Amino acid sequence: MFKINIIKSLTLVMALILGGTMITPTGLEAKNKFIFANSSPYDTMDPHALYDVGRVAYRINLYDGLLRWLDNPPKLSPWLADSYDISEDGTSYTFHLNKGATFHDGSPVEASDVVYSIERILALKKGAYSLFTKSVEPGSTKAIDAHTVQFNLVEASSIFLATVPAIHILNSSLVQSHEVDGDLGAKWLSQNDAGSGSFELDRYDPAIGFSAKRFENHFMGWGDKYLDEIEFRTVIEINSRVLGLMNGDFHGTDGYLPQDQVKRLEASDNVNVQVEESMRIFYVILNHNREIMQDINFRKALSYAFDYDSFINDILGGSVARNPAPMPNNIWGNPTEEKGYTYDMDKAREYLAKVKKPIPEFVLGALAGYGQTGQAAALFQNSLTKLGLKTRIVEEPWSVVSKKMRDEQQMYDSLFIWKSTYYADPNNWIGELYSCDQIGARNNSWYCNPEVDALLNAARVEPDQAKRAVNYKKAAKLVMDDAGGIFVYNTVWFGPYNKDVKGVRFSPIGNAQEMRWVYFD
Amino acid sequence: MFETVKFLIKKLVQDRTAAIGVFLILSLILIAIFAPILATHPADITEFHPPERLQGPSSEHYFGTDRMGSDIYSRLLYGARITIAIALIAISVSVIIGVPIGLLAGYYRNWVSDALMRVSDIFLAVPQIILAIAIAQTLGPSIQNVILALSATYWPFWTRLVYAETRSALNEPYVEASIALGASPSRVMILHVLPNISSSIIVRTTIGMGGTILTAAALGFLGLGPPPPSPEWGRTIAESREFLPEAWWYAAAPGIAIFLVVMGFNLLGDGLRDILDPRTRRSKGG
Amino acid sequence: MRILYLIFNRLVWFFPTVFGLLLLVFTISHIIPADPVAFLAGDNATNEQIADLRAQYGFDKPLYIQFINYVLGTFQGDLGISLYTQRPISDDLLGRLPATLELTFVSVLISAILGVPLGVIAAVYRNSVADHILRLITVSGLAIASFWLAILFQLFFAMELQWTPLQGRIDGWGPDHITGFFLLDSLLVGDWESFGSAFSHLVLPVATLAFPAMATIMRFTRAGVLDAINSNYVLYEQAMGFPERIIIWKYILRNALIGTVTQIGLIFGLLLAGTVVVEAVFDWPGLGLYAVQSIMNSDYNAIMGFTLITGTMFILINLLVDVLQGVMDPRSEL
Repeated sequence: MFKINIIKSLTLVMALILGGTMITPTGLEAKNKFIFANSSPYDTMDPHALYDVGRVAYRINLYDGLLRWLDNPPKLSPWLADSYDISEDGTSYTFHLNKGATFHDGSPVEASDVVYSIERILALKKGAYSLFTKSVEPGSTKAIDAHTVQFNLVEASSIFLATVPAIHILNSSLVQSHEVDGDLGAKWLSQNDAGSGSFELDRYDPAIGFSAKRFENHFMGWGDKYLDEIEFRTVIEINSRVLGLMNGDFHGTDGYLPQDQVKRLEASDNVNVQVEESMRIFYVILNHNREIMQDINFRKALSYAFDYDSFINDILGGSVARNPAPMPNNIWGNPTEEKGYTYDMDKAREYLAKVKKPIPEFVLGALAGYGQTGQAAALFQNSLTKLGLKTRIVEEPWSVVSKKMRDEQQMYDSLFIWKSTYYADPNNWIGELYSCDQIGARNNSWYCNPEVDALLNAARVEPDQAKRAVNYKKAAKLVMDDAGGIFVYNTVWFGPYNKDVKGVRFSPIGNAQEMRWVYFD
Repeated sequence: MFETVKFLIKKLVQDRTAAIGVFLILSLILIAIFAPILATHPADITEFHPPERLQGPSSEHYFGTDRMGSDIYSRLLYGARITIAIALIAISVSVIIGVPIGLLAGYYRNWVSDALMRVSDIFLAVPQIILAIAIAQTLGPSIQNVILALSATYWPFWTRLVYAETRSALNEPYVEASIALGASPSRVMILHVLPNISSSIIVRTTIGMGGTILTAAALGFLGLGPPPPSPEWGRTIAESREFLPEAWWYAAAPGIAIFLVVMGFNLLGDGLRDILDPRTRRSKGG
Repeated sequence: MRILYLIFNRLVWFFPTVFGLLLLVFTISHIIPADPVAFLAGDNATNEQIADLRAQYGFDKPLYIQFINYVLGTFQGDLGISLYTQRPISDDLLGRLPATLELTFVSVLISAILGVPLGVIAAVYRNSVADHILRLITVSGLAIASFWLAILFQLFFAMELQWTPLQGRIDGWGPDHITGFFLLDSLLVGDWESFGSAFSHLVLPVATLAFPAMATIMRFTRAGVLDAINSNYVLYEQAMGFPERIIIWKYILRNALIGTVTQIGLIFGLLLAGTVVVEAVFDWPGLGLYAVQSIMNSDYNAIMGFTLITGTMFILINLLVDVLQGVMDPRSEL
């Protein structure tokens, strides 16, 4: 008797459990709410704490800068500042603020807020701070009147303007009222909003993401169509982002997905994939500190030994464009006529034969969690083994890699990595990656060529873009002839959006995550 | 000794499930040894064919190809070597560290033995996987470091076991007798206690192999195992996630391999327990 | 008296054990070659910027001073600030604790609800077809890699059949936080939509966690019941002509379940550890995922805080299980 009962009750339990699985997720959301699935978690809402690409959304949607990079190719456009003047000597920049701009609490955006914001960046020493270390001294920025602010640089700089969008303007009195123990409001601002941006923070949970409501009184006004609410949700797993987009749970996700996923998305009726050539180069840092790496023949052999075609066409399915120079193909100053290296094992052998010193085993570094770097390293290892070279792949997370990159001894012999756009100026790439004074900081290859350096330094202070372009072209050609690094491709951005989404404006800085022009059709 | 082995083999063959376990483990060992002969594409451990990537199972590629266009079947066979090496070495090290500490702590009854047990308690207090992840991450991803991380986290299990067994063995009349007759502690431990508890150690070690393989695979899965292009099974599963659900074979093959091997050790462990350790025989029952 | 002595003995060792735990974790986390500060400062940071940040977090001080500071802070309930999220570790951990506990509780519950009766069935019908099938399930449960099982479930139930969500804990923001347990909270406020969503999100991670746990409980229950069936008094009762049903429920189960209760306690601890991998696969915003991310980010304080909390929970659970066992089974060797 009891046996039957047990079996009966068990069947019931199992039925209940199976039945439970039938309940499908109910994705009912407000009609005009845009949900973006983001791959990295939003750990803070402080716009001055971070300066990365993966979490740019909160900075550009909740906050404004004096200027902003828009569209592709990126144009530096007026934003909180209507206009600006540059002094004769190129050291003093005066910005005239829009008089109608207000913060989310209704108080006006004034010059004192700009001064507070830049001083806060300089004091916190986080995020975008490094862009201003050599140009802006603490205390040098002046509020001329309520709507005029003056930056006084240490020396003339032709890239300062390009970095101004990184200064996100805070509501100074609001932040100051929440300062605790001189923390510059860091604790409070890490989960609250003190901005003037197009959207106003509504909810934030570091484990989930953030949502924000449209700020009606934004100084730029609004068109006929807009979103009432935006939500950026952390969804780490690629498959979840893709499936969510396909079944309509999400309306957008980041545009740097593996090609196999892009194909799935393109096949879906719900999704529309927008394509733009971005400015994010994939390259190999060669560590010139290593004795063997100082031999140009060895570096050239390496440059000929990477199978660019196979990597770009087979592994990445032709989704990116070959980029042979140390800067993107689509930025001014790029040496378009230079073809760079091709995969040629005979040439590689030829150059290798000229290497007199014994070649030790060397390390190919890759980023854990970024499958592409591992695949590139494996492919490279494949052909290096054929050349009779012994290599070892080391795949480590970004936290480890970012430390080793700065240390002469710990830096890998070579490292596969991307360089994204922080500001659209050739200096963002070649200027940082191959200047002597950036060694150990952003020049992680310990490459220092006086000729290249002179060209880059001159370009950094020269105001005329045409003259600068000449310098960058020359410098790029020198680095390429020198095989200073192995330059692989420039990323194409495949932005997947729900088919009803319109008005997306892509820019390599911000990756189309600025939502003020987006709407549902 | 020979008689014991013969008895063991006879018993194991009689017990059908244990026999399956032995069969699975022997297969693993044979596969590991003869991987170069059994593999259809032995070069694919380091050589890649990108144009052939992500192809489904076929007569050319029994288990399909991976993201680099390599033969998954061949890589799986070589992966068996890594699995065996990691599990065998890590477990041996754990036993070599854990057993003597357990013996000492169990034999002496003073603050030192208390302290030794507390140290092992501290290690047991942290989830094994967390400790292993932390150590593997600290040392950097490689086979050696996975082995180190596993050894460092697994030894207390043997300490705990040997400690408890030693305590109860000391109550056995013949052990008490030999102590009373003035045998030296080392003599008592090695000649009387150790043989008495060796069956428990063997059973625990066999089952521990299964657990170690699972943890090692989990480390590989989290990216803390041997670096690419290693054919380690956990890593292969992690790599495959990006290509699911289309490339289902990519994840299926290594997962089944792990499953079968761990099952082999568990079945053998159960069988050994029934044969060697009458006190716990109840787990099999009637 | 024996019980009091046992409790006293365990409590005396509690603090040194926790201290040892701290020391162990501190040692491991501080020899990590990664530099959380460089990571924090971003890939555009200067070396000076990094040095300043390091001083700000006290990483420039000798290790033993860092350790003393940490221990002192811990006693005041301050686990430090996360280098990565910039929030107090205690806030981060407390915020994520309910997610992990909910997952673990439900898993323990399911595995017990299924495991105990199935174990009884296997014992009562020992060596029958049912027993063999159940044995196969047990053996599989203990041999399957949880991350693989999780992927398999995702592949089949979420991607192919689309019955369940692929990952995450809930759609949107979930019900108002009362207890932090979404199932409970949504019931309390009568938010059925959230309840359905939370439930459907729980199914796959719970199934993944509960499968091996169920196997363990089943195995243990089966052995316990067999033991009880084989022991003499049951034979005696049978001879006295009691109906089988009464014997099973009244004598066998009661005796067998004493062991199972302590086993479930231990399983709770094991599942807590199991959540690390399962949360990583399902993006479950709990302690396990936090731990994996902290380790990947070399977030010293977070790693230590997590290990301290889980370690302490582990020690407490073990203590409780020990005491329970002592109370219920006076014969047990302490």
